Amino acid sequence: MRRPQKSCPFCESRVRWIDYKDDRTLGRFITDQGKILPSRLSGSCARHQRQLSTAIKRARFLALIPYIRGHQG
Amino acid sequence: MPRTYEAVYIFDSTLEDAAISDKINRFHGMLDTKEQPEVAHWGRRQLAYSIGPRENGYYVVSKFATEPTTLPEYERALKLDDGVIRYLITLHEHEVGAPPQSEEELAAATRRDDDDDDED
Repeated sequence: MRRPQKSCPFCESRVRWIDYKDDRTLGRFITDQGKILPSRLSGSCARHQRQLSTAIKRARFLALIPYIRGHQG
Repeated sequence: MPRTYEAVYIFDSTLEDAAISDKINRFHGMLDTKEQPEVAHWGRRQLAYSIGPRENGYYVVSKFATEPTTLPEYERALKLDDGVIRYLITLHEHEVGAPPQSEEELAAATRRDDDDDDED
């Protein structure tokens, strides 16, 4: 079964490069635990999904978004 | 050939603003830049997770064009400085990817972005 095509939210808003410093946008593409949302759920195209994963990993390192959400200590 | 880099520094939030500016000037003095680096101070922010005993950090973003050969010395100075909690140096994306978006395009993108939020 083919899953229905979702449109890429980044292509729709004509984002050319995903900024790792934009924690508000990146926050929409991580789960409640802090995992990167898979493209089958977000609908991101392959190019933007690659950029997104790099951006999230950079933002995590800079403590802009957490590695794990809801974890104390 | 000089390349454009972007660096994000997280300084200890207990440092004075003047001390932070001094440090940034010292770091940028090590780079062989023709133009003055663009520096944006984000100021004190809460960290998404604690780094050692620290809960807050002073964020500074800078953009500069320099020869890649000047980077190791600069990076070593950053590593040895106790006031710097973390730093990240990246090649500035716009030179690798597409040209930066114009103001109008960005505004349109933000508007559409907000529309998306309602569907969640």
